This record gives sequence, structure tokens and C-alpha cells, in this order.
Amino acid sequence: MTERRLRVLVVEDESMIAMLIEDSLGDLGHEVVAIASRMQEALDIARKGQFDIAIIDVNLDGEPSYPVADVLAERNVPFIFATGYGSKGLDTKYSNIPLLTKPFLDSELETALVQISKEV
Amino acid sequence: MSNVEEFPLTGRVLTEYEALITSAPTALDAIPGAVYVCDHEGWLVRYNAEAAELWGRQPSLSAPRERFCGSERLFLPDGALLEHQDCPMAKAVKNGVSTRNAEVIIERPDGSRIFALVNIRPLRDHRGEIQGAINCFQDISQQKRIEAEVIRKSKDLEDFFENSAIGLHIVSAAGIILRANKAELELLGYTADEYVGRHIAEFHADPPVIGDILDRLSCGKKLDRYPARLRARDGSIKHVLITSNSRFDDGKFVNTRCFTTDVTSLYESEDARRESEERLSATYQAATIGIAESDANGRLLRVNDAFCTMLGRSREQLLTMTFLDYTHEDDRGEEARSYARQVNGEIDTYAIRKRAVKPDGTVVYLDVYSSTVRDHVGRFRYGVRVLLDVTDAKHMDDRLRESEQHMRDLLEALPAAVYTTDAEGRITFFNKAAVEMAGRTPQIGDKWCVTWRLYRPDGTYLPHDQCPMAVALKEDRPVRGEQAVAERPDGTRVPFIPYPTPLHDVAGNLVGAVNMLVDISDREKAAEYAERLAAIVRFSDDAIVSKDTQGIIQTWNRGAERLFGYSAEEVIGKPINILIPPDRQDEEPGILERIRRDEHIDHYETVRIRKDGTVIDVSLTVSPLKDARGRVVGASKIARDITERRRSEEHRKLLINELNHRVKNTLATVQSLAAQTFRGVNASQDFGRFQSRLVALARAHDVLTRESWQGADLQEVLHATINPICVEPQQRVEASGPPIRLRPKMALALSMAFHELCTNAAKYGALTNDGGLIKVSWHVSDSESVSHLHLQWEEIGGPSVKVPARTGFGTRLLERALARELGGKVDLVFAPNGVRFHIEAPLA
Repeated sequence: MTERRLRVLVVEDESMIAMLIEDSLGDLGHEVVAIASRMQEALDIARKGQFDIAIIDVNLDGEPSYPVADVLAERNVPFIFATGYGSKGLDTKYSNIPLLTKPFLDSELETALVQISKEV
Repeated sequence: MSNVEEFPLTGRVLTEYEALITSAPTALDAIPGAVYVCDHEGWLVRYNAEAAELWGRQPSLSAPRERFCGSERLFLPDGALLEHQDCPMAKAVKNGVSTRNAEVIIERPDGSRIFALVNIRPLRDHRGEIQGAINCFQDISQQKRIEAEVIRKSKDLEDFFENSAIGLHIVSAAGIILRANKAELELLGYTADEYVGRHIAEFHADPPVIGDILDRLSCGKKLDRYPARLRARDGSIKHVLITSNSRFDDGKFVNTRCFTTDVTSLYESEDARRESEERLSATYQAATIGIAESDANGRLLRVNDAFCTMLGRSREQLLTMTFLDYTHEDDRGEEARSYARQVNGEIDTYAIRKRAVKPDGTVVYLDVYSSTVRDHVGRFRYGVRVLLDVTDAKHMDDRLRESEQHMRDLLEALPAAVYTTDAEGRITFFNKAAVEMAGRTPQIGDKWCVTWRLYRPDGTYLPHDQCPMAVALKEDRPVRGEQAVAERPDGTRVPFIPYPTPLHDVAGNLVGAVNMLVDISDREKAAEYAERLAAIVRFSDDAIVSKDTQGIIQTWNRGAERLFGYSAEEVIGKPINILIPPDRQDEEPGILERIRRDEHIDHYETVRIRKDGTVIDVSLTVSPLKDARGRVVGASKIARDITERRRSEEHRKLLINELNHRVKNTLATVQSLAAQTFRGVNASQDFGRFQSRLVALARAHDVLTRESWQGADLQEVLHATINPICVEPQQRVEASGPPIRLRPKMALALSMAFHELCTNAAKYGALTNDGGLIKVSWHVSDSESVSHLHLQWEEIGGPSVKVPARTGFGTRLLERALARELGGKVDLVFAPNGVRFHIEAPLA
């Protein structure tokens, strides 16, 4: 368990999956502050939103979501990639970013959160 | 005679005649000498015994009486018959003629003759009338004989003087030549007129010599073979030996008689002999060959320096030895036998190669030539031994033999058929490869060729005596560039190239030949192969290009024309760089460097430029090209256009990623649906199990996706599956086995199995306590035509296991579904000390 209650941005275009992540985070004691399912929306929130951490699906309706990651990196907001590709599907530029491979277990989500919040 | 008349008659004084007649008949016998008396008519009246003896008869004094002579017959000294009435006695009584010292020959009745010296005096009375005559005669045969002998001798002497082979001359006390014989004149070439009457000194070449000669002779000394030099008429100098003595008359030096022996030729030959002897002697001593003389027992009598050197002994030592003393004991017997035969005269000479031992123990090889010197009656006098140190030659010979053996071994080991013949073409050697190639074992002495039958390349029969080897020998030249076909006794035929080469000795004489037969069946196959290869190159879709080590294009096929757009004429001879984009020019030196190091470059993917400037993706395979000696002379390059392949590969990758993304999202959606469905229901344990199985399946998908669904590594599948379940898998799971590639279906099935086993271990087995351990081991058996995977899951150190009361999903999956899925056998045992699971399934 992370020691604090994290406020999380979830960038995910599949609503069912977003819901699953939201439930999982809730079960782990965290709070989802926003769910973005479109690129523009995600970019807006990423630039302006107030949150501790973000979970970003790499593929947003067929489009790579790296620009969102770039914004967050710029703002020094930690983030986790969630992808169906597996680690090989990720741009090498982000090879040091924690990766959740879909589908994932709650325990895996927790591990990733612990890892990222330690780095923060 | 006055004293006769002094005797009175009656005392008258008797005449000589009367006194002789009246005296006793024996009175005449007192006279020493033959005497007879005739009366005035010539009748024999008295004779003494000696006369009768010389006559050899007793003439009668009474009737019938004999007249004038008592001999049987008389002859004159010249042999003419002298009748008794004409004999000196007849003249004395008839004419009163006295005869003093006349010679007649008396013949006796027995035919023998004597020379008689006759003295007759007529006997007269007081008045001077002839009363008779007395004849005193004596035998002078002996004197006559001597006289005849003297005459003959002097004649002989004269003849000897004149006709002697030796020059003779007589010189007066004053030194004037008085006489010279033919030989003398011939010797010097003068006529008698030119020589005789001149002073001897004129003819001598050395004044002191003639001075000395004349001095000696005038003192009465003899000269015996005194050497001098005379000047001949033609100016040449004759070497002579003068033997001379002097004649003295009453102590006065009269003349000298000189024998002149011409020794010019002797001198010359003597000079020559001396010279040759000196040379021989010098040779004898200076010779590098050893020379020695030995007696009949082999004892050395004379040795030269080289001989001493050869045997490592001093002359003094050698002269106390026989030649057998230093001969190696193994060679002694033979040498002794040969020498004995030589001494016995059975053989004149012999030659032997033997070993001699030096005092320091070293052994030298000697060639000995022994010959005999005989005395004038042919008896053995001594043996002449000529020695040659052939140690080096022997060693060379040995080495030669050795190297010959070495050569034979080499030829034997040669993988090519090799044989040799003598100058007549008879086979003297052949190696195993020759036997193999000929398909038969040739006989030593066979002629011309080791093969059974020969054909020309066009298939016509080739007699052995016309084969290339025969040609090489007959024409004494190496034959090259020929080809023939050998037929084996089993009918198979081998095309080959012969390399016959004549062999010569050091003198350049043809002594034989060596032939190598190179089987070119392979070469023919290779040529065929090369032809096929060339066709492949020609028609290949791939660009096949060769270049030299400098990168200059050498060949260019149709594929290259199609791929790069240049025709062969356009690019051959140009650098390969024209195909390389400017930003990749640094690739070529690297490739060339690797080629020079004889490296092969496989499927090197890069980019090249076509003639029209467009860029193409190519896969290059570059191989070094070597010459016959293995040196890299260039490279062959196969370029394949992979633009299309690359594009489709990228497309495929994209599709897989997209698919994966969708599948995973779908699975995640299923997960979400399940979560929403069972939320609030007290079924979180079951949901957890479901979620876990779902994730395990997804992880196996991940592994497979990474490999483009071609297959997955067993160990990777194991870890991807159990890592999410197992805490500290590195410490708790021990995996061992070779890397094994699983086909996708098997990877998924095993992944599910590992998940169930691992979940079970985490719930009830080895992962529930601190010390438990899971051992996973596998191997592949190749005993059947298909490889089988044998995999064992074994839990140790966990709590004791109870067999589950009911068969759950996991058990069913492991025991039934898996076996069906994989077409193999599974064995799940809930042993008390830990679960054991074994699976055996075909890999393919």
C-alpha cells in the first residue's frame, strides 16, 4: 500500500477498462481525479489538471499518447504507461517509465504505483 | 860334305845316302820326326816308325816297291790331288831340287787327312851324283787348324768391326780418326770421307769431355761406358757411351779403339722415365688417393701420405702392419680371400669396398683396387693397393638411398596415382592411389602404364605403347596437356590427365620416367556443376556481382541489371561505390577489409542506389573469391531487393501490434465486465482466480507476440506466467533445462499449466511456507523420429500434501485438457512430500 492517497489522472479510451482501473485504484485507496479518453482532452488535463500521478494508455484510439507523456514529463508529474503491446510496443525514449501490461492484476498496479511514488 | 870325305873307304868314307842305308833300320827311328829315304830312282828304301804313323800305313820296301811317297794319296794345300811322281820328293830325286817347308796334305787309307810340312834334300855321292833323297815331314794339322781359326777370327773381327751394331772408331795418338765403321758413320750421319782423317774433338759437343777422354786414354786408362755427347751431321746431339782402350807398342801410345754406344733414345726414354717416375713419385706422395704396396702376406711395404691420412696412422705404424689389421672385422674375411687369390695368381686385380677402423674408432669406407706386380718370370712380387676414401660418397649414397626411400614414402602417401618406370618403360614403382585408380595391381615390369586399358577422350582405343608415358620416354620430353580414359577390369572408366616426366641421371642420361595420373572425374563433375552454377547466376532474380579486392566490378548478371538498372557494359570495370548512397560510402572499406580477411558476410541489410537515383533496401551476402592457391582475389556479392519484404514486415508488425492491443484491450474489458458483474457479490476469491487465469493467458500472449507468434522460449513462458503469482521467484523456483523453442499452441497450453501449478503451490504447496522450493526441469529426447519434451514440476520443502477432495478446474486442466491439447502424456501426483507433475509431449 502506498502511504498516501494519490490523486490519479487516467488516460484511457476504453470506458470499461477505465472503469476497471478506477475501481482498482479505489480499492487501493486512491482517487481518480479525471478520466480522459481523447487526445485533446488528455492534453488539456495534463497541462492544467491537478493530480499526483497519471496512468496513460499508449494507444488512444489508434494514436500514440506520447505527447501527453511529454507534457507530464515537462511538468515533472510521474506517470505509468498502460498498454496491450507489452514492453516491446513502447517507444525506446520511455524505456525507464513503469509499464502495466493489460490486462493486469491489482497487485501489479500497486507495485507500479509504489515504484513511481518512490521515484517522486 | 867335306867331313864325309874325311872317312876312308875300307875305311872308305861312306856317303850320306850310304850311311843312312847301311845303318840299322831302327836307326831312323831315333830321329824325332817322320823321315823316309828314296833311292835315285825314287824307290822308297828306308822310313821310320813316325813316318809310318803319319802315313797310317807301312809301305813295302821290297817288291812291290813304292816310289816317291809312302802315303796313300797326296793333295796340295788347296785340295788338288798331287800325284806321287809330281810330289816334291820326285822333283828332288829327278832334278835335285830341295824343298823347304812345303805343305802337302796326306790322306791315310782310313780317309783321314793331315797337313804335313815337308823338308826334302837330295843326297849326293862324292861326285855329286844323286844317290837318293831324304824327306823329313811333320804333322802340322794342329797349326793349320789354329791358323785357319785365326784367319776366320780376324775375318770375323773385321766383319764385326765393319758391320757391328755398335759404332767403332780408331783414333791415333794425335787424336785423328783413323777408321770408323758403318754403325759409327750411320749414327752420326757422316760419310767415311767426312769423318775419317778429322780430329775427334771436332765431333764432340763438350770440349772438356773429349779433353778428359783423350787424357785418360793417353795415360793408358780404360774408358768404360763413358758418357759423351757427339755432334751429328744434321746438327743433332747424340748421347753416347764410349768404351775405349789404348794400344801401346813398346810403351808408346799408338791409337785408341773406341766403341760408341748410342744411348740417345735410351737417354730420351730415360729422361722420360725419370720424369714420369718423378711425376709418379710426386703423385704417389701428393695423391689424394692412397697408394700402398704390400707383400704376399699383406704387410705394407710402402705407403704414401694420403694413405696414412686416410687411415689416421703414421707411416711408421702402418709399415709394421698388414692391411687386414685395420680392416673392419666384418670385412676382413672377404678381403683376405681376394688377396690370397691375387697372390696365388688366380686373379690379377680385384676391387672391394670395405670399412677401415681408425685408431680413434671412427669407421671410414674405402674403395680398394688391388693389383699385382710380377717379376720377369711372372711370380707375385708385390701388391699395389690404391685406396679411395668413399666415406663421404657412402654417406651421400646412404643419404641418397634414404632420400629415395623418403621420396618413395612420399609418393606412396600421395593421394594421386603415381608410378615410375625405367628407361625401357618397365614399371619400377607404383603407389596405392595408382592401384585404386587402375582398379588392379600392376606387376613390376609391366610396360608403359599401370592402367588396364586406355582410351582417348573421344573413346577410341589407345594402345599402351602409344600412351603419353610411352611418348615421354620415347621422345625424352615431359608430356603435358594430354587427357585419357582408363578402363578398370570391372568396366568402369576414369578420365584422367597424365603428367609423364622423364628422369635423368646427373650425366643427363635418360634413366626412366615418373608419371602422375590425375583423376578428373571430379573435375568433370565440377565443370558440370560450374556450368549449372553459371546458369543459376545468369538467371537468378538476385543481383549477383563480383568485384576484385579494390572494389572494381568484374561480373554483373541479369538480376543485377534488373535490380540496379545498369547494364553489364555500363558497370563492369567501375567501382562498386556507384551503387552506394553518399551517406553510406564508409560501409565499403569495411566490407572489403572483412573480405580480405576471408570473412563471409551474411544477410547484411543496407541501402543502395539504382541508376535512376531511387534508393532500395537490399540484403547483401558477400563471400570472398579465392584463386586456386586460396588467395582472396575478390568478392562475390548477392544483393536481394528487400524493399518489399521490409515494407510487408513493417506492415505485419503493425498489424500484430494492433491485434495485440485489441486482444489485450478485449481481455481487459472482459476483466472489467467480470469485475462489475461480481462486484458486491461475495465472490472476490473466485474473481481473483479468474483474474489470475486471464492474466496468465495474456502474459503467454505477450511472449508469443514478441516473437511474432513464431514460437516462444520455454523458460521465458515459465517466468512470464509465474512471476505475477510467485513472490521472489528467483529464490523459490529452480528452472533447469536446455533452451527449447515451443510452438505457439504448446506455449499457451504450458503457460496455463504453469499458472495452475503455481497457483496451487501458492495456495497449498511449496510456496506457502518460507523454505519450500519448486524445481522445474526438462529435456528433449530424440529417440523417435519426433523430438519429445519431458518436463517435470516438483515441489519440495512444502507442507505435507493432501489429495484434493474434488477435482477442480486446475486438476482437470492439467490431467485432461493438457494431454489432449498437446497429444502427450501427463502424470500428476499429489505425493505427501510435494506435488509432482510430469508431462511428455511431441515438440513438433
